[in-house]
Amino acid sequence: MINIKLNVNGKDYSLEIEEDKRLIDVLREDLRFTGVKEGCSEGECGACSVIMDGRIVNSCLVMAVQANGSSIVTVEGLVKDGELDPVQRAFIEKGATQCGYCTPGFIMAARAFLNRAKDPTREEIREAISGNLCRCTGYNKIVDAIEEAYRYEKGI
Amino acid sequence: MKKRGRGIGLSFYGTGYGNGFPDVSNAWVRLLKDGKIGVYVGGAEVGQGAMTAFVQIAAEALGVPHDRVLLEIEDTLTTPDSGTAAATRQTYNTGNAIKIACENFKEKLKEVAKDILNLNSTAALEVKDGEVYLEIFPQKRVSLEKIADFLGGNILEAEGSFTAQTTKLDPETGQGAPYWPYTFSACGVELEVDTITGQVDILKAVLVQDVGRAVNPHLVEGQMDGGYAMALGYALFEDLNLKRGVMGNRKFSKYLIPTSMDVTELTKIIVEDPESTAPYGAKGIGEPVMIPVTPAILNAIYDATGVRITELPITPEKLAKAFSDFEKEG
Amino acid sequence: MKREFKVVGKNIHRVDAFKKVTGRAIYPEDIFMENMAYGKTLRSTIAHGYVSLDTREAEKIDGVLGIFTYKDVPNNRYGVVYKDQEVFVSKKVKRVGDPLAFVVAENEKLCDLALEKIKVYYEEIEGVFDPVEAMEEDAPKVHGKSNILYHFKIRKGDVEEGFRRSHVIVENTYKTHMVDHAFLQPEAGIGYIDEEGRVAVIVSTQYPHYDMEEIASTLNIPIDQVRVINAYVGGAFGGREDISLQIHLALAAKVLKRPVKTIYSREESFLAHSKRHAMVMRYKTGADKEGNLLAMETVIIGDTGAYASWGENVMRKAGVHATGPYYIPNVKVDSYAVYTNNPFAGAVRGFGATQVPVAYEQQMDALAVKLGMDPVTIRMKNIFKVGSETATGQILTEGVPLEECLSKLVEAMGYPYGKEAYR
Repeated sequence: MINIKLNVNGKDYSLEIEEDKRLIDVLREDLRFTGVKEGCSEGECGACSVIMDGRIVNSCLVMAVQANGSSIVTVEGLVKDGELDPVQRAFIEKGATQCGYCTPGFIMAARAFLNRAKDPTREEIREAISGNLCRCTGYNKIVDAIEEAYRYEKGI
Repeated sequence: MKKRGRGIGLSFYGTGYGNGFPDVSNAWVRLLKDGKIGVYVGGAEVGQGAMTAFVQIAAEALGVPHDRVLLEIEDTLTTPDSGTAAATRQTYNTGNAIKIACENFKEKLKEVAKDILNLNSTAALEVKDGEVYLEIFPQKRVSLEKIADFLGGNILEAEGSFTAQTTKLDPETGQGAPYWPYTFSACGVELEVDTITGQVDILKAVLVQDVGRAVNPHLVEGQMDGGYAMALGYALFEDLNLKRGVMGNRKFSKYLIPTSMDVTELTKIIVEDPESTAPYGAKGIGEPVMIPVTPAILNAIYDATGVRITELPITPEKLAKAFSDFEKEG
Repeated sequence: MKREFKVVGKNIHRVDAFKKVTGRAIYPEDIFMENMAYGKTLRSTIAHGYVSLDTREAEKIDGVLGIFTYKDVPNNRYGVVYKDQEVFVSKKVKRVGDPLAFVVAENEKLCDLALEKIKVYYEEIEGVFDPVEAMEEDAPKVHGKSNILYHFKIRKGDVEEGFRRSHVIVENTYKTHMVDHAFLQPEAGIGYIDEEGRVAVIVSTQYPHYDMEEIASTLNIPIDQVRVINAYVGGAFGGREDISLQIHLALAAKVLKRPVKTIYSREESFLAHSKRHAMVMRYKTGADKEGNLLAMETVIIGDTGAYASWGENVMRKAGVHATGPYYIPNVKVDSYAVYTNNPFAGAVRGFGATQVPVAYEQQMDALAVKLGMDPVTIRMKNIFKVGSETATGQILTEGVPLEECLSKLVEAMGYPYGKEAYR
């Protein structure tokens, strides 16, 4: 057992965990942020994407000890004072979710992308989400939603 | 060398279990305490949007805004059997069951309204916008909330059941009417083939889908995008690498499904031709949206290269080899 | 008649969208119950052979709560159409991935340890992996005396006469492969005893009421003692029609009187559910000088793998749709579902109707090339319209807007119509 400290969605946690736990296990099992999904366990599908210290990571590929001391944002942490994040709003508005399993991962990837993006093209958006797999939507409405979220944020 | 081509594919798809198998959906509708309406069906939401379509069909039938309908689909304890969420049958079958249940429910509402309004008949009573009222004297009206209050603890509920038409096929000749309704689709693609590497790039794609009537056009488009993407994977790269019963590829690092970089923009055209046996004319489209895409790609590859690919998947290696064989043979 | 609708036809937001974008949609793996144990499945690593297990050592591990095998299942057989699948293999393994045992322990690590400690003895026998070979008399048999599960026939008109009158005939053999649904959420579930003593299973399924029936039937308990709760479903596409972990969880929960949870890995998910039928499709299609279809003959052989699943229905649907959406007066179809020792094939989006257009639509283009006609024109001549008769003799009385679909397609693609459409 090992002690780690994490800030998740703005709250500090100190945890006793088994050393071989991955970040996804800590988030889902210890802290019950079950919006973090596991689809492949090898970093291919991106369903487990979270933002770690400002960067998008596959939480199935990060060992919990590696995350010690870092700040994590999961999909649950995007809702602020009951207000949805513009990305979440746009996903609803544009019909970008179907079965929903990949959705939290896409929303986190989009959030991380939009934090830095400037007038993104559809091609750039496609590239930004190319580490996330979706089997239902064929991606087009997800791209629509990310464009829309950018417009919300720029007030255009 | 890069070669361009275009191809089309048409398809049809018969809805339902088929072959005379009883294809039944059931629905229950109940007045809730606050005047909202509970709809209970066993039809699964698997991402296709069944819940939303069910709510829209129920709201339309009951004449209420969609947020007055509370749908429950999860628990076998509290929902009736609505058949499988497969065979493109939920919107058509369970949609019909819901519509029938709602119509039965409205008759029951009218019976109660008749008592509340001191009428001696339910004739000319109409259920609309969350109220029951007398069409010929609209001052006589009562809201669903009031009806729920009036009933107190008594439950007002109705059932609906729909069985699709299907006949058993003759075992020797295959004659009969196995499925109904049929749904039609058309796809066209323009693509570029690199004849050296065998790489296929889709340049333009159009999918046209007959829907009967679109219950929710955005959801229909979502299905079309998804079916197109799934067909792209089927045609071009998904491969289990199956050898003597062993799947060599059973992880996403090896079994490649399309990514956002593989799927191109898709022009989606919805064709409406309401089906008389369907709820508000709506046919199912979950499966049909995938079907014409693969043949359109195959035909476009032939148009581009003169090579007819008869075996899936059209991997780059396979296509490059087929083209080089074709060139050698002249 | 144009009717105005108030709700139908409107783009209302998905009713489940809010939960899905906020991470509040609960899939079975997201549920944690008090005093919950974990379960894992032991699966065969060979495709065909006899198996026996020695679980004694594994049972001794501290924290292992139970190891379930066929001996623990009152009625070991299930299946959507034919009850040809076993909850756990009793004697003969028929494919890689057949469930042999279900281990339940206090945690997943102990499950893994127990799986390692179970001794599995195989006596391999020759398998059959090609559906065409599997149809031969002397092929190894997967079940019973013949590998041919189902043969569907259409006999309409006189194909020989139709081909005699044909100006052009195209013959080709097409092959499609097995693929996976690859839905994003691997199978997961929890079995438990509910507050009224029922055996309950929370799962992601396409058909909760069917799962309930199979649980009641295999565990031999009254159906009102079973409850299936369908949590959010992370995609399905046909891959959640057959039973995967439902019976294992119900059995374990019933015996242990504790909640038992199972989550499949992606690799196990590939092993656990059905696949799309691989098909070999031999096609012969004839048309007259003007491009009117006169005859079509096809033999379609579908690899249904180790179990029937929906194989019969899939190959029937393939057969019924074998002509494509075209009127053909003379049709002969023979489609077969054939057992092999491959992964079992069942329902996948399109259900047999997805494979046949790989053949029939290429046949149409090949005929057009021979006739010097363009692909749009040859289709326009033959497509189903209101009143058309299908190969099964069914009359399409309404709802056949295929001409409109094709016209809109041609317009959107910017094709010149007619002779110049194709080079």
